[in-house]
Amino acid sequence: MLLFLAAGIALAASQQIDTTVTVERGQRLQVNAYGGEVTVTAWNRNAVRVETVTSGRQRIEISASATTLSIRAQGRHGTSTEADLRISAPAWMPLNLSGVNTTAKVEGIRAPISVETVEGEVDVTGGDGLISLRSVQGSISLKGARGRISVNSVNEDVQVVNSTGEIEAETVNGEITLEAVDAAAVDASTVNGDITYAGPVRTGGRYSLSTHNGDILLTVPEGTNANVAVSTFNGEFESEFPVPLSGTRKGKGFNFILGSGSAQVTLESFQGTIELIRPGGRKDRERRDRSDH
Amino acid sequence: MSDPWMERLSDYLEDDMPAAERLALEAHLETCRDCSVVVSDLRRVMNRARQMDERQPHRDLWPGIAKRIGATSAGAQPIRRRWSFSSPQLAAAAVLLMTFSGSTVWLMRSAGSLPADGPIAATAPPPATVTAVNVRRNAAENYAAAVEDLERVLSAGRGQLDTTTVRVIEQNLAVIDQAIAQAQRALLADPANLYLNTHLAETMRRKLDLLRQAATLVPVS
Repeated sequence: MLLFLAAGIALAASQQIDTTVTVERGQRLQVNAYGGEVTVTAWNRNAVRVETVTSGRQRIEISASATTLSIRAQGRHGTSTEADLRISAPAWMPLNLSGVNTTAKVEGIRAPISVETVEGEVDVTGGDGLISLRSVQGSISLKGARGRISVNSVNEDVQVVNSTGEIEAETVNGEITLEAVDAAAVDASTVNGDITYAGPVRTGGRYSLSTHNGDILLTVPEGTNANVAVSTFNGEFESEFPVPLSGTRKGKGFNFILGSGSAQVTLESFQGTIELIRPGGRKDRERRDRSDH
Repeated sequence: MSDPWMERLSDYLEDDMPAAERLALEAHLETCRDCSVVVSDLRRVMNRARQMDERQPHRDLWPGIAKRIGATSAGAQPIRRRWSFSSPQLAAAAVLLMTFSGSTVWLMRSAGSLPADGPIAATAPPPATVTAVNVRRNAAENYAAAVEDLERVLSAGRGQLDTTTVRVIEQNLAVIDQAIAQAQRALLADPANLYLNTHLAETMRRKLDLLRQAATLVPVS
């Protein structure tokens, strides 16, 4: 049953809106804004607060059902418009955010998060469960997430930091950085960009890093148990430590086993360098220095 | 390619082999590097295949796309298949075919451009014989048709998209096309290279994914 709480806050002139709606567990927050900057921050109240300044041509619709609290920014006659929204929501509340020319920033939500935009950056800290972040022209940054993570850009970089779970990261023309991640399954793929993975390789885990035109850097902690398959056509392979080759394939491809070999690691770069390094080693320190700057 | 075990590796991996024959093959694998490397490669492809098979499209794209290209939905069903391949080209074709499982096969079937009894579908009973040549030809034809359909959608909706978005999509399609061309050239020199075959298939899948993503951006009028 649809329960209507509030709707159609239409304004004739520029005006500041500050509205708070009580919510209950079981509801999800749905935000749709054609353009502008949307910021969602967790707070410790079971309520959602919406703050924005509208012009006379804009309106913010807020409606609620038993399952959804919906916030929609649009032009007065249903046309597309840009609006900067500042939203506070409980950390338990799942979030669906969609837009076109929209930049999204989410902080502190500990629930499933879905963000989809065309032209705009996506910057999320938090997330628990199913997390899907997509942008065509914007970079994706995800920190402190836990769960099944899918991050996808087309023309920009993708970064996942301090996160756990299963990670699927994809871009066409950008780098992929997976830093301080603890994942049992990783599938990272780009066409034109480097890929960096820094984190443990879990026993029985599956890791696939693939680029066409870029380098792959994999930190391999001591005691890793993995069957590593390396493939390249016109690239190089370098390792900070000796690797025991167990099989070679046609072209520049080979396998080697570390420890018990329980994890499956696939590293593919058509024309880039594939490099294995030790955490804390010289190259790892150099890499950290580069990323700090 | 005179090793008689080579053609049996697919059955071995699918556990479709009598016990005695299985033991004999395992003994052979201990001494034959070529076969053991192919087994290792095929395992990798199959693992990837299983991963891809589980990946569902983010949403059903067909209704919107059908409306744009004037096709009618025919209530197509998701397709399940049995994998059986033993050569790098066939494995790559299989990877490429899998890219149709989420929405493209659905698109193609719904649009009526893919025969209902095509070799992609293999629910029950499994296909008696699926030759490498047939699978590869069908994969290539289906891929080309899907790309053409999606390019048509994109072309028709070009005026409704932001010019920057169009430019970015075209630039990225060019990046992918360049990668496809490079992989194809590499394959001419080494057609049996499994990595090159699967890499080409994966890169073609990326093009399809990007076209699909771009097609969904076109507003439905």
